[in-house]
Amino acid sequence: MKKSASIKSRKRQQRIADSSAFAVLILLALIAMLPIYWIFRSSLMTNNELFAWPPKLLPPNWLFSNYSAALEYFPFWKYLKNTMIIIVPSVLAGTITATMGGYAFARLRFAGKKFLFTLVIGSMFLPTMVTLIPLYIMWTNLFHLSDSFLPLILPYFCGGGAFNIFLVRQFVSTIPRELDEAAMIDGAGFFRILSSIIVPAIKSAMITVAMLLFVQMWNDLLQQMIYINSSEKFTIAIGLSQFKGSLKSDWSAIMCATCMSFVPGIIIYLIGQRYFVEGIVMTGMKN
Amino acid sequence: MSTTKTSVKQQRAALRKAARNNKLLRSENRAAYILLIPSIIGLIFLTYVPLVEVLGLSLFDWRGVGTPNFVGLGNYIRLFTKDPYFVDSIKVTIFYSILAVFGSIIYSFIVALLLNRKIPARGFFRALFYLPYVLPAMAVYLGWNWLYETNYGLFNYLLSLIGVDKVMFIASKDMVVPSLALIAIWLSGNLIVIFLAGLQNVPRVYQEAAEIDGANAWNRFWNITVPCMTPIIFYNLIMSLVTNLQVVTPALALTNGGPGNSSRFISYVMYQYAFKDGKFSYACAISFVLFLLIAAFSSLLFLSSSSWVYSEGGND
Repeated sequence: MKKSASIKSRKRQQRIADSSAFAVLILLALIAMLPIYWIFRSSLMTNNELFAWPPKLLPPNWLFSNYSAALEYFPFWKYLKNTMIIIVPSVLAGTITATMGGYAFARLRFAGKKFLFTLVIGSMFLPTMVTLIPLYIMWTNLFHLSDSFLPLILPYFCGGGAFNIFLVRQFVSTIPRELDEAAMIDGAGFFRILSSIIVPAIKSAMITVAMLLFVQMWNDLLQQMIYINSSEKFTIAIGLSQFKGSLKSDWSAIMCATCMSFVPGIIIYLIGQRYFVEGIVMTGMKN
Repeated sequence: MSTTKTSVKQQRAALRKAARNNKLLRSENRAAYILLIPSIIGLIFLTYVPLVEVLGLSLFDWRGVGTPNFVGLGNYIRLFTKDPYFVDSIKVTIFYSILAVFGSIIYSFIVALLLNRKIPARGFFRALFYLPYVLPAMAVYLGWNWLYETNYGLFNYLLSLIGVDKVMFIASKDMVVPSLALIAIWLSGNLIVIFLAGLQNVPRVYQEAAEIDGANAWNRFWNITVPCMTPIIFYNLIMSLVTNLQVVTPALALTNGGPGNSSRFISYVMYQYAFKDGKFSYACAISFVLFLLIAAFSSLLFLSSSSWVYSEGGND
């Protein structure tokens, strides 16, 4: 009798805890989304409406025409095209070469494996900021690639970054070896095993790598500023920084440009999201 | 007779097997190297050679053209004694990193704990908190610049509702670094996902055993969840520290190092010397100091880890 009562009260406690935790979560989610909402809301208002006190929570008129006006000064499609010219080949090459490296480290025996792997892990802690200047000198003085996309793209043909190699390795290690061995008895070589057994099994890891590479390049304002000079080749990031400079306080137009630039990342994220979380879950475990 | 015959046969079979194994090993070796060619090229030419070059170049006086002039430690001495920006930039960078790293860890751990409970629409909430991470940095800073606007921005409006006077977030020397760190915290969705992954691996048995023993939620959190999570906390700490000590984008996108020098981060000073003034070798000295700083902080963390990171049955 007494016992069941205590269970009941504990259950009630549990319910209270659950619903208050959920309430806190909703509050945090609202706070986290507020900046994005406010930016979007501001993009649909006139500057006069923006400079009013107190600010209105909802746009009085939803001025989607602001976007077509902003597009006249902000050639979003050109910038998007340039950004994609950099990102698409880099993401593909980075994902493929990281998969190759990760597979070799996870499955194959070869001389110097430990040493090479230590070098890979070591480079995870080597800041990109440190190698920036020598690489710039290499691309511009040695290869004469100034005002070019190539210095931004070519590095991704070289392994796709230590973290990503590591991530693929972790993933491949979880696949039962029997699968490889069975294929090997059937006469498949290592490349065949990689392409027909490993790759289908680690699809979510590869999508994770692709998304991490996407975000990394998407955010890399510094290198884009260093290597690209002419306005014909501007990316979204450089375009935005120029746009901000030319329209000092036309906040409505700047918010339009900002919102437009949000969209491609959100779309890519929504497409890859399911795999992405699964992929991160794998890496988190083994660290 | 028959026994020797079989043993010879066995020997032959063993030899053949060894030869086959050897051949397999050789082809395995070859396949591995072919697969690793891109990574090895990257490691050599994009990582370790440039690291040596940074150190080498920093010992010269070279501005992009002409013959380099050997100056020994001259660049370093100048940096620490005469440079108007450098020493302050170290302080600013460390201050920013401390705020951004601890802020992000605490924020994302709390969110991950909440997401780890039984809640409706979990995938939706997870995606929501992760979303800021996939937005392009330049756009994020532009957008927040408007939220931080002194007279008509969102934050000052919210503060006015609770009766706080207007704050100059970006335009004041004291507030600019905390304001930028707040953006970094907002962007830390990737940490949430990693924490969440770790939380799902905290063994349920411990929790249940403690619950039967009558431990309350608070005790369970501090004595089970937190110790089990220390390896993940450590990983997030170190990754977040390495990232934040290199901070440059907010200065490039928003503040240009100002007001005054209050957001002039180390990497931004380096960027300006190299790419605005063409003082490449001098900037290399800054890069190398940054490298040493990051190495020092990482080693400190690693050294401290034995006292607070809990590992179950060694590493795997």
